[in-house]
Amino acid sequence: MTPVTGIDFERITLRDALDLAVLIEEEARDRYEEFADQLAAHDTPEVADFFSRMARIEERHRTELLERRRTLFGSAPSAVDRRALFDVEAPGYEAARAFMGVRQALETVLAAEVKAHTFFSEALPRVKDPELKVLFQELREEEVHHQALVKAELARCSEKPDDSEAYADDPNAQ
Amino acid sequence: MIEDLVVGLAGSGGDGVVSAGESLLAAASSQGFYAMMTKSFGSQIRGGESSCRVRLSTRKVLNPGGVLDVAVALNWEDFRRFGAELPIGPGTVLIHEAKAGPPPADLAPSGRMPREVIGVPLAELAKASAGTDRAKTTIVLGVLSGWFGVPQEALDRGLQKKFAQKGEGLLEANRKALARGISFAAEHPLAAPRALARPEASAPKLLCDGNEMCASAAIFSGCEFFGGYPITPSTEVMQILSRELPRYGGVVLQAEDEISGVGATVGASFAGKKSMTATSGPGMSLKTEMLGLASIAELPLVLLNVQRGGPSTGMPTKPEQADLFQAAFSAHGDVLRPVLAPSSVEDTFRLTVEAFNLAEKYQTPVVILSDQEIAQRKETVDPIDVSRFEVLERLRPTSEQLTGGYQRFAETPSGVSPLSHPGMQGGNYLAAGIEHDVKGAPTASGATHAAMNTKRFRKLAPLQERSDLFERQGPPDAPIALVSWGSSAGVAREAFALARARRLPVKLLIPSLLYPVAEPVYRAFFASVRAGLVLELSHQGQLYRVLRMFVDVPPGVTSFARSGAQPFRADELLERLEQQAEALR
Amino acid sequence: MNAFLAPNDYKSPLKPIWCPGCGDYGVLQALYRALSAVGRPPHEIAFISGIGCSSRIPGYTTAYGFNTLHGRALPIAQGVKLANPDLLVIVAGGDGDGFSIGGGHVPHVIRRNVDLTYLVMDNQVYGLTKGQLSPTSPRGLKTVTSPMGSLEQPINPLLTVLAYGAGFVAQATPADMPGMTALIEEAIRYPGFSFVNIQSPCITFGEEDQQLKAHKARMKPLASLGHDPANQLAALDLARAYGTELYTGVFYRNPSPPPTYDALVRQRQVELQKGEPRSRSRVLDGYLKA
Repeated sequence: MTPVTGIDFERITLRDALDLAVLIEEEARDRYEEFADQLAAHDTPEVADFFSRMARIEERHRTELLERRRTLFGSAPSAVDRRALFDVEAPGYEAARAFMGVRQALETVLAAEVKAHTFFSEALPRVKDPELKVLFQELREEEVHHQALVKAELARCSEKPDDSEAYADDPNAQ
Repeated sequence: MIEDLVVGLAGSGGDGVVSAGESLLAAASSQGFYAMMTKSFGSQIRGGESSCRVRLSTRKVLNPGGVLDVAVALNWEDFRRFGAELPIGPGTVLIHEAKAGPPPADLAPSGRMPREVIGVPLAELAKASAGTDRAKTTIVLGVLSGWFGVPQEALDRGLQKKFAQKGEGLLEANRKALARGISFAAEHPLAAPRALARPEASAPKLLCDGNEMCASAAIFSGCEFFGGYPITPSTEVMQILSRELPRYGGVVLQAEDEISGVGATVGASFAGKKSMTATSGPGMSLKTEMLGLASIAELPLVLLNVQRGGPSTGMPTKPEQADLFQAAFSAHGDVLRPVLAPSSVEDTFRLTVEAFNLAEKYQTPVVILSDQEIAQRKETVDPIDVSRFEVLERLRPTSEQLTGGYQRFAETPSGVSPLSHPGMQGGNYLAAGIEHDVKGAPTASGATHAAMNTKRFRKLAPLQERSDLFERQGPPDAPIALVSWGSSAGVAREAFALARARRLPVKLLIPSLLYPVAEPVYRAFFASVRAGLVLELSHQGQLYRVLRMFVDVPPGVTSFARSGAQPFRADELLERLEQQAEALR
Repeated sequence: MNAFLAPNDYKSPLKPIWCPGCGDYGVLQALYRALSAVGRPPHEIAFISGIGCSSRIPGYTTAYGFNTLHGRALPIAQGVKLANPDLLVIVAGGDGDGFSIGGGHVPHVIRRNVDLTYLVMDNQVYGLTKGQLSPTSPRGLKTVTSPMGSLEQPINPLLTVLAYGAGFVAQATPADMPGMTALIEEAIRYPGFSFVNIQSPCITFGEEDQQLKAHKARMKPLASLGHDPANQLAALDLARAYGTELYTGVFYRNPSPPPTYDALVRQRQVELQKGEPRSRSRVLDGYLKA
């Protein structure tokens, strides 16, 4: 199982690679938005806010990449679409929990950044185009940078395990 | 000359009495008589007791008739099984198979035996003329022709139809039997001769039963989908539509069960098609949950329930009017579901069209409450001018509504919201059994639920004013009321005519709309009433009880009700009305 | 041809209320993508469901949705499809909906071969009513209605549906999103009744070893086993492992799909309507007796 299907990294063009990077950020943004909605709907507002913030960060990355793509290639149509990728930088659905704490949320983000890093690391050896190699290296480094930020935030976070679940009502029958 | 003749025949299934009745009916209708035939069987698929009743008249026939003018018994055992369904009296001409011996002394329910009892050696005559004693019902047709003047040529056409395909020899043999029956009648004249008057020449009539009428009206109304499951006595509707509907571009699905049958119907309605299902009591019980879904999702749907004896399997081949409570009230939650009841075969056309119109107009399931008698009795009907029926379509969203944030359950003054269907761009919405807001989004808000309930009831409020769905006869200020519905209404009509001929101060009300109870109509009708009867074939008297839930029924009005398979007779009803008139004096 | 429709064009403004961590979120996302790949505009799609957590799914799409009764999605969907065969009709529900209360409808939709896609989100438990035994719960499972452990043999959805004669039978898990998306798309494209059993875990009442994390470790793509989806007998054999192995992919795909019921019905309508069109106003003429 690979998170990206139908793309041959040996032949991919710089334009398509940029498009792919944009979509990876877009997917992550959408997932964080979904998580924010899920937690807002399940009385976990702090974490919902946190995921909303993550969605905004991913959106910023997306916009930056999109600008670069426009500068280099204008509005030439994209050959890559969302169906080609799955959960590259977006956390898996299993990560969300009702009443999860901020610490758990940060761990979820960290795992997603590690996942993205692995993706670029695994793709890099197959990339032949030098320009593209530079881009992928840059993207991989981004992930390292993000990991550092998340780790820093985790360090500021209380070590105490989250106990919100213990205080919550039992589930409701419908 | 007599103008009205009621003939009852009973035998075992192998005798073919129903087939003989059908020949008699076809012959009479082809001669311009008004005619009606009901059939009644025991519970065997083949070879059990079977009977039929044929009423011939020069005037419109209102019901299958009460006490028989002519009774034909192929054997006593089978005849007796029909009890009150084939009542005999002193005036009855009782014809029986001679070798069965004289009638048992207790044959007449009233205890008063027919004055004229004739043993005819049916089997013997059949054997001698046709070469087989199987032709004994053809001998019966012959003697009926001879004694009562049913034209031989018309009966002969019936024989041709029945036997022509089965071999030349058979037709010839039966023609001989028919002739022999006629000559036997001539050799043995009745003590009190009675020959039927000839009807006036008239336009050809329709000859069909209530189920055929219902299926035809469904096609006329634009029905494009039928989903159902075989159940007596409604199955014929599915059979007819299976043959006919595809010719009009429609579909019939014989589903794996009653639930699936009505489920597919709900689905087809959701997909934008006029849709129908049919069933009887046990099936109705299973379909109830789906009707609730159609009510809350506001989807048009027509359900024909042909009532039979209940509860449970009850008496599948017998009429009863005991499913009104079920039709009106079998729902959880606050539900208002229109219930219409045809009171004759002809009426079934009008009310089926009405059912489709109400369903489409108000986006609701509508129940047609027919019964075994009307559904399966065959009768002559004057040609129906269908151009006088309007066919209504559901309110669909306009292109502006579809482009401007369509709301499936939009609040409107009438309570009816434009209804889109899959395939319609811009009309996308979520239909659901769960309570929803104007857009169809699920909700658990009490306020929204209350608003939606109000809307679902409001849209049906105009039914309160539908006085055209009530037949009223007689002087508006009459103090005695006769109220009846369904197949019993035919007896009520006849008794009413007899009562008026005797100058009794009676008026008649036949509701076609049973539910919701149109309170203003009853209030106006009951204003002058001090006594009366609500006539219906059920143990509880369900219409009477429903009326008392909603209307101040005058205390002198009582229920005249009894269990199914014991049809009312006009004479007994007349007697009751006379007693009431007497009490008022 | 329609303009390109992105996955998000199938996403409705209504926000899912499934528990965070529920497998159904993944199913929904995969469905958006599969629908985008198939490309039918939302108004030409009828999405019918029963009752249960998973049956809420039609409301989260922009298609025409119908959230019907418990166990009755299949009858209603058949009515929709027969009334308008041009529609793309998708049916969804849970294991209780499809194999307990509505189990009686499954063989019949299959033997008719109505062109529907049936997605069962199988979580082996009743979630909406808080964790009772379901028809696919494993024997021995302790739930609130089987406090000492279930004594019942679970139904095997894959084996049952294969035995009924379905032409397309697959199993997916949200633990493999690309695989699930491809399977849903393939099921939709299959011309006839298609069934995808989606092992979609219940985060709140499900067993730990049934969660997505466990799926990721356990699942075995049928393709990797060299299974030939045209081999019905092999499919039956593999399907027997339901409950012990988590095979994903296509168990069976009829290599020569027979005509669908809806197509045959339409064909018959066309044949019967040849010649002069029938007037609905003359429907009683046949009963006139001269």
